[in-house]
Amino acid sequence: MTHDAPSDLRYVRYDSARESEYVAAMRQLISKDLSEPYSIYVYRYFLYQWGDLCFLAMDEKDEMVGVVVSKLEPHRGGPLRGYIAMLAVREEYRGRGIATKLVRMAIDAMIERNADEIVLETEITNTAAMKLYERLGFLRSKQLHRYYLNGNSAYRLVLLLKEGVGSIRTSFDPYGMPHAPPADQPAHAVAATQGNGS
Amino acid sequence: MLPNNEVRVPPPRAAAQSAVPRDITADFTEASSKLRTGQLVKDETFTLFEAVGALEIMDSKMDSGYIAPGENQAQALEDNYDVRRDLTPKQVVGLMDQLLCHEMAWHMGHPLSQTLFTSIYIDKLLWPVPRTMEDARFDRVPSESPLVSHVLRAYCLALIKSCDFVHARVASEYFYEEEDFVTQLYNRSLLSAFDSSHFYRLLDQAVDWVEVEEGIDQKVRDAIRSRLLLRRDFLASVDQDLEILDTRSTDSFMSCLSHLKALAETVSLGTTVPEAFSLKLQRKLASTVPPRPIVHIKHEDAFAHMKRLCQDAIDLQQILDYRGPSNFKTAVWTLLSRKPQPSVYIRSLLQALIVSDLTILGAVSVKQFLYDDLAELVLPSSILLRANTDEVEVPSDPRFQIAQQMEGFVKRFAQPFVDTVRCACLNRCRIRRTICHTVIDWDNLQMEAEELDLQLQNLSAEPALQFPGGEATFSYPLSSWAYHQKLIQLRLILQMGFELSIYAPEELPGVYWYLSHICSTHLAHLDRIRTFIVAARKRDLVSSSSRAENPAQTSPAFHKSFLYLERLTTHIIAIDAFAIALHALYVLLARHNVLPSASSPEAYSSDRLRYELRMKPFMPISLPELVPYEEYQREATLDGDADTTILDRASKAITEARKAWEATLANGAFSEDVSSPTREPSIAIEEDWRRDIKDTMRACIGASIAIETVKKALLGDSPPSEKKPVNLQVVIPEIGSKTQWHDWWIVPQISENKTANPPTS
Repeated sequence: MTHDAPSDLRYVRYDSARESEYVAAMRQLISKDLSEPYSIYVYRYFLYQWGDLCFLAMDEKDEMVGVVVSKLEPHRGGPLRGYIAMLAVREEYRGRGIATKLVRMAIDAMIERNADEIVLETEITNTAAMKLYERLGFLRSKQLHRYYLNGNSAYRLVLLLKEGVGSIRTSFDPYGMPHAPPADQPAHAVAATQGNGS
Repeated sequence: MLPNNEVRVPPPRAAAQSAVPRDITADFTEASSKLRTGQLVKDETFTLFEAVGALEIMDSKMDSGYIAPGENQAQALEDNYDVRRDLTPKQVVGLMDQLLCHEMAWHMGHPLSQTLFTSIYIDKLLWPVPRTMEDARFDRVPSESPLVSHVLRAYCLALIKSCDFVHARVASEYFYEEEDFVTQLYNRSLLSAFDSSHFYRLLDQAVDWVEVEEGIDQKVRDAIRSRLLLRRDFLASVDQDLEILDTRSTDSFMSCLSHLKALAETVSLGTTVPEAFSLKLQRKLASTVPPRPIVHIKHEDAFAHMKRLCQDAIDLQQILDYRGPSNFKTAVWTLLSRKPQPSVYIRSLLQALIVSDLTILGAVSVKQFLYDDLAELVLPSSILLRANTDEVEVPSDPRFQIAQQMEGFVKRFAQPFVDTVRCACLNRCRIRRTICHTVIDWDNLQMEAEELDLQLQNLSAEPALQFPGGEATFSYPLSSWAYHQKLIQLRLILQMGFELSIYAPEELPGVYWYLSHICSTHLAHLDRIRTFIVAARKRDLVSSSSRAENPAQTSPAFHKSFLYLERLTTHIIAIDAFAIALHALYVLLARHNVLPSASSPEAYSSDRLRYELRMKPFMPISLPELVPYEEYQREATLDGDADTTILDRASKAITEARKAWEATLANGAFSEDVSSPTREPSIAIEEDWRRDIKDTMRACIGASIAIETVKKALLGDSPPSEKKPVNLQVVIPEIGSKTQWHDWWIVPQISENKTANPPTS
């Protein structure tokens, strides 16, 4: 069940002026659950282009306890697609609705920017993350076989925000047979947990 | 979560041919001095894919070549392990079993760098690259222990050689890199250049040596011997694996099974030698992959994997006798639907057997395969399939023109049709995703077939059929056939969705409604086909009597089609009725707010948007058209129907479903062709098929009970009212749980709620 987020937390939008401080904390928070960390370029890729879609939860000591990182861009010349790339909440803070709050902030920001749909992947075993997103209205659109490096499969979760998006044609065929995955859907990830609260 | 990609090799970029190199150091220094530290300069074409693939040099977690300050270079890169050291016989057993675990882990989809290539023994055999078999040894000066220099070496070499065959098999077929298998060899060769005879010889010598070696305890000696024999038989199994088409022999795989049994019984005799495996070897492999841990799988999992592989390979022999397209398709689908799904090697081997060089099972041309299918479903004894440009050479003759049109049809349709069978060889997730894609092709193919049908009905002077109260109409055999293929695919998209567990509980009423909608569309289509075949049969009888021919010549073909249509109809009725029953049941649960829901009332999106998202694969299909949301909403919620009506519908449908599944089971997996000689029955595959149907029937019984429980709660002594909601607890079982009898049939577990005030969701 979703509880109200505790009042001793502050939710803020990422601020590039505080990059060195924020990115370090963010990397620490996210890398904790990863066997292989993302390179700095992954963080920069998102934060330089879509820093305004990144939200942070800070505790009373101004320490980062939760983060969501996302992007928003046209998908293969088709719908304006939001993508929630990373979500993490410090372990001792989980179960308090922090992740839900952060994801809602990201979704609301994307809706404001006229997003057509929002997608993400979660590990099939990560029931907490799946529940979180499904409660928010996401549907599992497909299963991705052995998507992560640990051999676990993933679900693609999709939230449609506007009518008619499903029939927008994209310029690239997402179901093509070639072995290489489409450029913006890398085939694998490390054993990542969608850090979750709620 | 964002995937952290393994493919770290950037796509090659073609350098412009005319490029002239120029020193840009000064320009670069100047430009970069204007940047703040950490500021990103991003090329337009720099994608997330590339960002994820980037490595940070000098970060020990990402840079596999990184040597920390103070670390001794030699120690960081080299292991002290002496490959010439003496090993006890028990250690040899332990090493062999560990290597088998690594081999199977690789079969399961882990990269060599985390499995076999962490073995120092394997590394020594493959690097430096051996130019002769002699070169392929652990050290220039062989160990004085024959157990190492003979036995372990022969074992390792044969293991590598079987990996070579497996690698070649998988790499030559459709598979998904990293999902199914990692083909990366890190610039090593798996001894492909050497003929397998060398390996058999070395193994035989090793076996001979072990057999007479008195110094080893009998039990351990037998254990080593059976491991060498397993290597021999497994190598023989994967060596020339396509020859099964000629030999029909599964002897090698059978022997593997018996050795595996011996292995499992003696695994405890082995002593592990963990120091013979090292992560440091990853630093030497040509790769841009960060250091990754050694994959450890349990002995029993490795044995189980190999056992299943061998058993699947043995049973695969049962599909090799071609007994018509529908039997073939059933056998392939059934074998590949085994759980766990057959390994990537088996799935690749099967692809090669299904079709190579435009030949099915090495025996039937794809044209014949296509024609057989057309004959079975829509064109028994038709001029369209008989016409032949070899026999009729006058271009003005309609038969010549028919033959020409049909040739065009074969060119266009044979491949997509064979692919509908071959698609089953993909991993389960990819099957559904691929069908979502190919069904659009089939939508177009159907339209193309319709064009052909129009021309062919002129050429063959097909008489029109007059439906009561309708216009004259024609059979459209080719497009009817294509539509049939498409309807199967649309159904599979929905059914595989259950298997892959992608539907939320609140979607179940709607998805089962849609499934029954597709089934009833399909049934109507089969009726139409039957009508035209009946008419063709009548015409055939009249014309053959006028030509004083014996109608017995054509009647088996018609008989076969009628039988086939009957089997299909029974099966689809069974699916339809079960879907109707579950739809009705879920509607009642939803109506009384006892169906669990994944989405909360505060969710984004809406039912309409969720419908649009769920039906996305159906949206581009022109026939059958996607049911508009309003209509779907009305139908899927059984809007306006009273509970009693819906209960009645559920009860009737489940009774019909049980009967129809009984009938399907009685019809058997395969249609017997009276005209062909009796063949070996496909016992194992038939058993799988029967189990599948029986599981479905169990699900039917489960659904009957659930319906009764709901009936009692709604119509019993204390029917629910506004103040007192229905007193039921509903659990949707997880895929794979015991109460989930069949992956395609989600039957809710319904019980009476013990508490006085049941929760409403």
